Amino acid sequence: MSIQDLLSPFTAWKNLFRDPVTIQDPFNDRPGSERYRGFHKNDVASCIGCGTCETICQNAAIDMVVGEGEPTGAGDSGLRPRIDYGRCCWCALCVDICMTGSLTMSNAYTWVERDPDAYRFTPGVDKKSWDNAPLGYQRAESHRLAPTQRVTMGEVAPERRIGSFEEIVQGYGVEQARLEADRCVSCGLCIATCPTHMSIPDYIQSVRDGDYEKGLALLYETNPFSNVCGRVCTHKCETVCAAGHEGEPVAIRWLKRHIVDQLPVEKYRRIIGDPKPPTGKRVAVIGAGPAGLTAAFDLAKMGHSVVVYEAREKPGGMFRYGIPEYRLPYDAMDIDIEIITSMGVEIRCHNRVGTDITMEQLHQEYDAVLLSIGLHLGRSTRIAGSDHKGVAKAVDLLRDIADGKSIDVPKQCVVIGGGNVAMDIARSMARLQKSTQGEIRVTVTALEDLDHFLADPEEVKECGEEGIAILDSRGPQEICLDDQGQIIGLRTWGVESIFDEQGRFAPRYNPEDEQIHPADRVIEAIGQQSDVTLLGEALTEKLAWNRGRIAVDGQGRTSEGWLWAAGDCVNGPDVVHAVADGHRVATDIDLMLQKKR
Amino acid sequence: MMRELYKKTKQLFPLGDLTEQRHDLVFVSIPHPFLSSLLRHLRDKEGFSHLVLLTAVDWLERGEFQLTYLLCNRSKAWDMGVRVVLPREGATMESIHTLWPTAATYQRELKEMFGIDFPGSPGVNDDFILEGWDDIPPYRRDFDTLKFAEARFTQRPGRESLDPAQHMAKHHSDGS
Repeated sequence: MSIQDLLSPFTAWKNLFRDPVTIQDPFNDRPGSERYRGFHKNDVASCIGCGTCETICQNAAIDMVVGEGEPTGAGDSGLRPRIDYGRCCWCALCVDICMTGSLTMSNAYTWVERDPDAYRFTPGVDKKSWDNAPLGYQRAESHRLAPTQRVTMGEVAPERRIGSFEEIVQGYGVEQARLEADRCVSCGLCIATCPTHMSIPDYIQSVRDGDYEKGLALLYETNPFSNVCGRVCTHKCETVCAAGHEGEPVAIRWLKRHIVDQLPVEKYRRIIGDPKPPTGKRVAVIGAGPAGLTAAFDLAKMGHSVVVYEAREKPGGMFRYGIPEYRLPYDAMDIDIEIITSMGVEIRCHNRVGTDITMEQLHQEYDAVLLSIGLHLGRSTRIAGSDHKGVAKAVDLLRDIADGKSIDVPKQCVVIGGGNVAMDIARSMARLQKSTQGEIRVTVTALEDLDHFLADPEEVKECGEEGIAILDSRGPQEICLDDQGQIIGLRTWGVESIFDEQGRFAPRYNPEDEQIHPADRVIEAIGQQSDVTLLGEALTEKLAWNRGRIAVDGQGRTSEGWLWAAGDCVNGPDVVHAVADGHRVATDIDLMLQKKR
Repeated sequence: MMRELYKKTKQLFPLGDLTEQRHDLVFVSIPHPFLSSLLRHLRDKEGFSHLVLLTAVDWLERGEFQLTYLLCNRSKAWDMGVRVVLPREGATMESIHTLWPTAATYQRELKEMFGIDFPGSPGVNDDFILEGWDDIPPYRRDFDTLKFAEARFTQRPGRESLDPAQHMAKHHSDGS
């Protein structure tokens, strides 16, 4: 033993008077560090119950359970994560993936309890002392497990597209679609919001897998109009997409279109399968639009014989006659219609019920009749001068364009309305002006201010790109005429409010804020109604009505046992809602036909 | 500047592109047979005397492991990461414990966590932290952590979980 070994213990004595590095009092709080991953906190008000935390948890420590006071609603399952701390390893993957940022971790890490089940609780719902702890782990802003921006969609540039009715949206390629599909966390919150409850996460999965045949089969389970809806669906699903809370929602609509784009139409029938054997029952459908044709497709698949009566030259209804070709090319729509007729549905175009055949005849000849006539009559503002021949309704003009009729293109036109139809007619007019006159002079005047516009934001944006002037908060007062009785413009007042205290439509204007928008043509696009003259007087009298529309129950039955009604004519305009409606009435008609058998 | 160093070194070794993460942190790649010569050169001629760490990334889709050797030049406060790529199948890499004895510890860890072998490295086959491990190395990306956890650790009784979409189909007003 050396002398140093003997002395060294004493050298430690020099530390006796230093500040200790340990904490002296072990009985009081020792808070975790600033970004410590302690017990979870969940802001249950911003949590949407998507279950992504449960999916990512590598220890199966999270269950989704019914939260207290969190009702199930649009985009919120009402479920909240319950964590089993016997399994949690505090890795914080759940915090990193959380789609809303509601799930975080406190810096609390000490908690003593005799009951082991107490360590399984629902953060935010089961109150804990650390619920308001300011410190603890939160995902850093720069730290994301999934991209927040959607894959950019190729679009034809404004200067090129404005000269024709060429389709604007180009569709995703396989690689782009896969990247976009990868952003979906498969939570399925969108399914409840989609009117026809498409199995969205599953068909997005098929894009990831590159299994387009499976994708198409999934689409056809709930929607025979995927070529159409892949382009012009109102995509309510995207408004509730979990990815939309801290980024852009997944481009669900474009992914749907991608699936149908990948398969040649010859393959469709094999994937969808054949109809059931004939039942001998006959159903008449009035109107070859989305609701009528969806019902026809379903009924034909069930083995019933279906005849669709269509007044116009071609089938498609509001798809063909209400949506311009640059948004929905006729070829795309024709694919969907071709598949429907291939199931045995007979479409008789140029066959106007009420003129060529009466409702009574249909009633006698068929076991059931479905009325799905859409909204083909434009409403009028009824302002002074609105009966002038130079004032047109948007729906009439859109129909003429779809029919290929020559349109008297105005040098300068004003559109009244702020919905998608107003945008459709404004952009159609701009295209016609560009190709015939080389110059675009279209003004849109809307009652709503831009923040409350009824049209889709992308429509408004694209209008701007195409050189259309949009004036918001303008209320139409009068069509101004010159001495020769020609239209010279539209007089508007600024809008102060649109609804009264009871929420009724009662616009108030500021007459001081007056403008005259020069125009040689004014187009009204303020809403549509059904042309119900086909019903005839007796039936019109017999039927129950609800504020100008035919009254129907939850299954689409009218007050007459043999007559159903579906689609825009009972619900107002919405493509995918019409599809959902078509399914609903088809199911109900089938039930009735089975009973009759 | 590290860029000068890169240019100079590139004349001697088949270096890949330079990635400048920061002014004092760069990454270079090199085919793995040249690794130990390069590290020796950097240590003895360029002052990178310290092996900061040795780590791996599993590029499952490409069938490769990527090793990163992070070196530090203390006097200049420069860090340089040297990257090599190995085939994932039967991954084996030359040991550098003769350059830095501490490398043996990193190599032992990589053997255990990724299954990358470093023949001749002292104790490379000894357990590191996973005593009694009998599954595939857990840092390999084809290791299914969730499956492992579910098989190994029993659930406390009384647990149940609801699927958000199915729950909404039952309870959301539009969800019928």
